[in-house]
Amino acid sequence: MQKHLLTMRVNGEQVELAVRPNATLLDVLREDLELTGVKEGCSEGACGACAVLMNNEPIRSCLTLALEANGAEILTIEGLATGGRLHPLQEAFVEQGAVQCGFCTPGMILSSKALLDRNPQPNDEDIKTALAGSFCRCTGYAKILEAVRAARDGDVGNEGS
Amino acid sequence: MRLPPFEYQAPSTLDEALKIKRGQGAAAQILAGGTDLIVNFKHRLFSPATVISLNNIAELKRIEVTHDALVLGAGASLAEVASHPAVNEHFPILVKAIDSIGALGIQRFRGTIGGNLLLQPRCIFYNQSHYWRMSKGLCHRTGGKDCLALEGSDSCHSICSGDTVPTLLALSAQLALAGGGGKRVAPLAEFFTGRGESPWNIMPEEILTEIRIPLPWAPISWSYQRLALRPAVDFPLVNAAAAAIVEKGKLEHFRLVIAALGPAPMVLREVEARLKGAAPTREALDLAQDAAVRVAEGVVVANASASKEYRIQMAGALARRATGEALGLA
Ligand SMILES: Cc1cc2nc3c(=O)[nH]c(=O)nc-3n(C[C@H](O)[C@H](O)[C@H](O)COP(=O)(O)OP(=O)(O)OC[C@H]3O[C@@H](n4cnc5c(N)ncnc54)[C@H](O)[C@@H]3O)c2cc1C
Ligand code: SF4
Ligand code: FES
Ligand code: FES
Repeated sequence: MQKHLLTMRVNGEQVELAVRPNATLLDVLREDLELTGVKEGCSEGACGACAVLMNNEPIRSCLTLALEANGAEILTIEGLATGGRLHPLQEAFVEQGAVQCGFCTPGMILSSKALLDRNPQPNDEDIKTALAGSFCRCTGYAKILEAVRAARDGDVGNEGS
Repeated sequence: MRLPPFEYQAPSTLDEALKIKRGQGAAAQILAGGTDLIVNFKHRLFSPATVISLNNIAELKRIEVTHDALVLGAGASLAEVASHPAVNEHFPILVKAIDSIGALGIQRFRGTIGGNLLLQPRCIFYNQSHYWRMSKGLCHRTGGKDCLALEGSDSCHSICSGDTVPTLLALSAQLALAGGGGKRVAPLAEFFTGRGESPWNIMPEEILTEIRIPLPWAPISWSYQRLALRPAVDFPLVNAAAAAIVEKGKLEHFRLVIAALGPAPMVLREVEARLKGAAPTREALDLAQDAAVRVAEGVVVANASASKEYRIQMAGALARRATGEALGLA
């Protein structure tokens, strides 16, 4: 197998590395770039733990060859906070108790970010559609829904108040 | 999960892709969105020498309206098709069918319309890990000599599960394919063989380039119906599409398709023949339901996550609903 050069932007930084053709984007993000916030759950597209944004759209990194990301802009959960400040969605997930083990959280938050960027005022149906296929095995979806609503409404940063 | 080893090529023109195909045939597999193919690689259902990515081929992503058809490039993403103004104007049924596929985060942005048509037919004994399958032994589809779902059967009954298939068929779509001998256009209705081990009339060196949907000569009323265990993520247990043109109270055109039953979608031609030319009445509902059940009885085997009998009865129920909605009788 001949390695190919892969150039992409990950969390705002240009990266260039040689990858095996049969490496998935998930493999490269986790193993080569050590972005372990990208989780491998089912590895078959069905759970959403590996979701990342490619050119602002949610995709399954377990179903995407790394080389298919050539020239793309990738955002993982590691790239969401800016200047040491959590993104409002991250704050909302913390404040609403929408995180337990945290395994589904990166995918949930990134899918929610793509939704809010596309549609800043989603209703519950829109949120459920955007998160369908993202599975949480512990928190339960009610809290996750509340967190996305809170981020939508700007109702964040109230912890302890 | 690891993928098998392969070489990777991402040509920027269709001609280059066809050249690789001509040289390697079936040993070179097409990767569109990969949302079906990569899972099948992980399950070791395929292990090609070369993967040809369509990602860089702009000419396969075009969507345009000609004087008589909507032309969808096979490589257009599901999101691009579903948000295109011409698709929404002429064929909202296709938008509904696309909306029902899997989930937004799975294939909406990467999955393609061509890949949905050429989704490998599914079977609970086939879409499993290599390890799982080894405990059952081989079948027609994996190089064996029997069917694990229907003992003694001489062919494979795996299920055509693409959610856009019945809709595109109800809209009388045509396919354009490029390959060895240049381009050819074939009706979608003649594309399916009915044999799960080789489900389509496509040559190993061919690439699907376009899906053409003829523009209707009068407004179409339509219905897309689908049943799955969960509305998101899960593949359809049965789906059905109906398209009708009613003019001056008479049914001038009607097509009813049921699918996700066997390797080929089924056009219920006898219902079409019986109903055409007359004013639609509620009798059409019983006619559609009975015909669908009869057709389903001939093709469904016990190879999905719901029982054979349930799928047969639900084929009837969905054909009834689709007919009712398309004819405004519901
Ligand atoms: C968890 C999960 C749930 C899913 N749920 C659904 C569902 O509910 N409904 C549904 O319909 N699908 C579902 N899918 C399947 C799949 O995501 C979609 O069918 C999608 O549209 C496939 O398109 P693709 O571009 O990703 O195909 P790919 O995986 O790239 O290709 C599919 C097949 O077609 C061949 N191919 C693709 N394009 C061409 C071409 N132009 N010429 C020749 N051959 C070609 C490929 O070689 C491959 O064999 C699901 C998948 C997953 C993982
Ligand atoms: S229907 Fe039979 S032959 Fe076809 S994949 Fe399933 S078990 Fe194998
Ligand atoms: S790990 Fe990719 S969807 Fe489950
Ligand atoms: S918090 Fe554990 S899976 Fe969602």
